[in-house]
Amino acid sequence: MIVREFNASGIANCKSFLAECRIHPQMPFPWDLLEDDSLTKRISAELTVEPTHFGPRREAADYLTTLLAPLPEDEIAQNAGLWTWLSLFFFNEVCPYRAGQRTVRNDYSYVFEPKHSRHFYRHLLFIAWYAARLAKPHDRLFMTAPVSSLDQVTDRVMSRLFLTRIPCIFEALDRLYWDEGRGKARAGIVDQKVVKPGDLRHRLPIRVRQLERTYDLFSLTGDQLVELLGVEFQQGDNASAKV
Amino acid sequence: MTIKRVNFTGRRRIARDRVDIAVYDGQPRSFDATINLEGLSFLPHAAVYLEATCAGSTVIERFRFGEVGNVQPPPSRALAKLEGENVFFTLKVVDRTERFGRILGIAEYIRPQRAGKQTVTGRRGILPIEPFELGQQLWRLDFRNDHDVFLLVNKNAPGLIERVRSDPLFYAAIYPEVVRRILNAAIGRNVELDEEDERWPVLWLRFGKELHPAKERPPKPDDPEEDREAWIEEIVDSFCEMHALKDKFLAATSGNGGEL
Repeated sequence: MIVREFNASGIANCKSFLAECRIHPQMPFPWDLLEDDSLTKRISAELTVEPTHFGPRREAADYLTTLLAPLPEDEIAQNAGLWTWLSLFFFNEVCPYRAGQRTVRNDYSYVFEPKHSRHFYRHLLFIAWYAARLAKPHDRLFMTAPVSSLDQVTDRVMSRLFLTRIPCIFEALDRLYWDEGRGKARAGIVDQKVVKPGDLRHRLPIRVRQLERTYDLFSLTGDQLVELLGVEFQQGDNASAKV
Repeated sequence: MTIKRVNFTGRRRIARDRVDIAVYDGQPRSFDATINLEGLSFLPHAAVYLEATCAGSTVIERFRFGEVGNVQPPPSRALAKLEGENVFFTLKVVDRTERFGRILGIAEYIRPQRAGKQTVTGRRGILPIEPFELGQQLWRLDFRNDHDVFLLVNKNAPGLIERVRSDPLFYAAIYPEVVRRILNAAIGRNVELDEEDERWPVLWLRFGKELHPAKERPPKPDDPEEDREAWIEEIVDSFCEMHALKDKFLAATSGNGGEL
């Protein structure tokens, strides 16, 4: 199918579908929405998309990066109609059937809101493309979760723009929090209730806020930032940050 | 043009009047800046940056202006990713030799002195209003910037920004709560009422102290909650009295028999 973008009416129809689907999780998918000329229009490049199964977010990131490469990045990052259309096209991936039922999340998981600072990064397809674009080549922390959910590591980092603006942050995060043995993020770094030395949820944002009063973090390399963060963070195999 | 040491970080505050900025209308907007670092004894090879952002924005646009010994504007000074009308700048002088990345000097919250119609200039009130994408919310406070608190108003609600500024109904309904929430947040920032400090918590606590019937200094964050609430409520009462909010509300609704 040729990729299209929804207009305002198309997005409103998507929201109606999501609302309906929450009440009737087995309702058939409205394929006709995707090519309805009154609800959609073609985008500036002719891109073809096929039904694809995504396992971890990495697969979605690679697919979307390749698919959208002909478009300017700034245009992609602001296009609510395009990402909402893609979510509907890949609805079985971002909202899969489990035991014959779908669990439909909040609208922002499927309907892209580029201007909403607390919603934009929660769009399940956009975040795959965005995390790869922002963090490559140090993006693996954000690529292991299934595409149908937003894991806490990705949520905690992407929700904090003062972190994601720092050019070297992803290199530093990868060094601090990637667990080679597990093939994913270290355990215990995003625990909601327990504050642990050097953890990602509590200690990292506080420490970065402290450092930015004294250092121009935009100027630093990953090595320099890790060193400045201090001893509590420089313990990759630190048992204190594990469950 | 004073310069002083502000805290234990060792960085120095640079007077804002050492930076002169003009923002030009356009798609995108662009700017010119003149930076005067003469006599400030920074390392000559320290890097000079100007960073631009605006209220509610998630974006910081950063421009390298050469070195202290040779301040040079970059060829492109387009504000391509900033949309709001309240644009402000931060000047940073950054060590690139001895302690790499350390901020040697900083001037924050610099407003453009001159601008076209798309941008606000100079010092504005204690609560700048900014039209913003807010979905179904009509207004929201934005505390993300250290130097200002903004009242964001839904830009897709025609006429709302004018109503927020002057409609007695709207004014009476939202401003007491706005004052209450900002003062509460300001107390939480635990700042001193330094006369030269123009960060929003200082401005608002100073405003609160002036409005307080006994001119009481603000409580500290670790004071009992009831003390903090009592101080704030005294000020909200004074604010409502000063603006006669109930009377104006009733006058505005009198044509409807006092009903909304």
